[in-house]
Amino acid sequence: MLKRRFFLNKIVLFLSTLSAILGLIFLFWILITLTIKGITSLNLHLFTSDLVDNGLRNLLIGQFILAGIATLIGVPVGVLAGIYLQEYSYNSRLAEIIRNLSDIMMSAPSIVIGVFVYSILVIPVGHSNGWAGIVALAVMMLPIVVRTTDDMLSLVPKELREAGVALGVPKYRVIFDIVIRAAKVGITTGILLAFARIVGETAPLLFTSGNNEFFTLDLNHQFPSLTVAIYNLATMPNPQLVKIAWAGAFVLVVVVLIINLIGRYLVKDKK
Amino acid sequence: MIMEVKDFYFYYPNTTQPALKGINLPFYENKITALIGPSGCGKSTLLRSLNRIHDLYPGNRYEGEILLKNLETGEMENILEWKKEEELIQLRQRVGMIFQKPTPFPMSIYDNVAYGLRLQGKKKSEIDEKVEEALKGSALWDEVKDRLKQDARGLSGGQQQRLCIARAIALEPEILLMDEPTSALDPISTIAIEELAIKLREKVSIVIVTHNMQQASRISDYTAFMYLGELVEFGETSQIFLNPKEQRTIDYIAGKFG
Repeated sequence: MLKRRFFLNKIVLFLSTLSAILGLIFLFWILITLTIKGITSLNLHLFTSDLVDNGLRNLLIGQFILAGIATLIGVPVGVLAGIYLQEYSYNSRLAEIIRNLSDIMMSAPSIVIGVFVYSILVIPVGHSNGWAGIVALAVMMLPIVVRTTDDMLSLVPKELREAGVALGVPKYRVIFDIVIRAAKVGITTGILLAFARIVGETAPLLFTSGNNEFFTLDLNHQFPSLTVAIYNLATMPNPQLVKIAWAGAFVLVVVVLIINLIGRYLVKDKK
Repeated sequence: MIMEVKDFYFYYPNTTQPALKGINLPFYENKITALIGPSGCGKSTLLRSLNRIHDLYPGNRYEGEILLKNLETGEMENILEWKKEEELIQLRQRVGMIFQKPTPFPMSIYDNVAYGLRLQGKKKSEIDEKVEEALKGSALWDEVKDRLKQDARGLSGGQQQRLCIARAIALEPEILLMDEPTSALDPISTIAIEELAIKLREKVSIVIVTHNMQQASRISDYTAFMYLGELVEFGETSQIFLNPKEQRTIDYIAGKFG
């Protein structure tokens, strides 16, 4: 009996270690390949010229414009919705429904969001445009921001709210001057992580903002983005173009990694 | 008398049993009134009714009257009849509150005290003056005058609690409610808060909830003993502690339950 248990224990330990190693192998394989191919493809020319001249400049700028404006839309709406859930809903039925819907939206496949925005913002216009890409990214970001704000506000002790109200402060000022400030670090971290999430998305942009080889700031037309460009370039027969894709992928991973690290650092600093 | 509770009942949401049953209790001007009693007797519930902080949560119900003296006309006004947000805001500026755990706002020491004054639309020079006055009034000025711009959360627990008192008295309330203000503090900070309460009595009437009977006997002029949502006995503190009339008061003070 005892022998059997020892034996089972060893098998489970072996299998779980193997699974962990298997996962790590692929992760490192990806990262190492990406780093080697990325770094060898990197050169200054990539950052000073646009895709039409085999550069990444318009793509990088485009990606940040799309993700940046999406953040400007998604953050206020998401934070306000989080405030509603935590401060005004008193956990009513409606709040429960919103929380559940928001959680479902968070796990919705990004391609679905892309197709949805395509049907409402691209088809009526007749062509891909930057705004559609922005809306798709904002929709992706929204549930993450709602959830983080909701969670972070719930960590603020209720005594702090009561202390504000007991001083004769109107409720909305208590929320904005005191509660939000107390939860500032957590909410900022959540926004950073949400930004890191959308800045690397391809599927929501694929049918919405399309792609553009040239530098542009005109959001009413096809708009350049790094992720969609990587998707297109990676399958090109020209090895020169594939190298640009590797360089772009490497830059993207580094950017996302840095944003994530800042987010983690903020959380750690708080503790 | 500055405040009077009359035939007061309080119900928490979705309950039919009142948490407070027919309370009648006066609060006298420039006196300290202590509310004592075992956990769950309703003393905090009563205290939190006096500035209607229960209104923050939906479903709480009041019945009866809580009268507050209008300092201009001398009339007693029923605060439970006030419905508008502005009336409640005014009530809370007149009836300040200190909590069990210190609640410094996430801002500088100066801004903590100035915050309420700014909301009242006071001028910068006047705010500076009042902040200093309030911090001196709460015996904190000497400790913080050189670091007014630092985050208030960096102060010790006792200092934070005195900061909260400064924040409350800066608005010059008529009444100060204290909900076990020293239960999270060390003995030395406790003594500082108690001395402060006695000093503040000159300017403001104080109602203090305390678990600590020695504290009640040390600082209060009047004591109310509550048990199971009822007011058992009210009187001058010396009378309650030396000559209690009710058997339950005698037993509680003797430490037979609690």
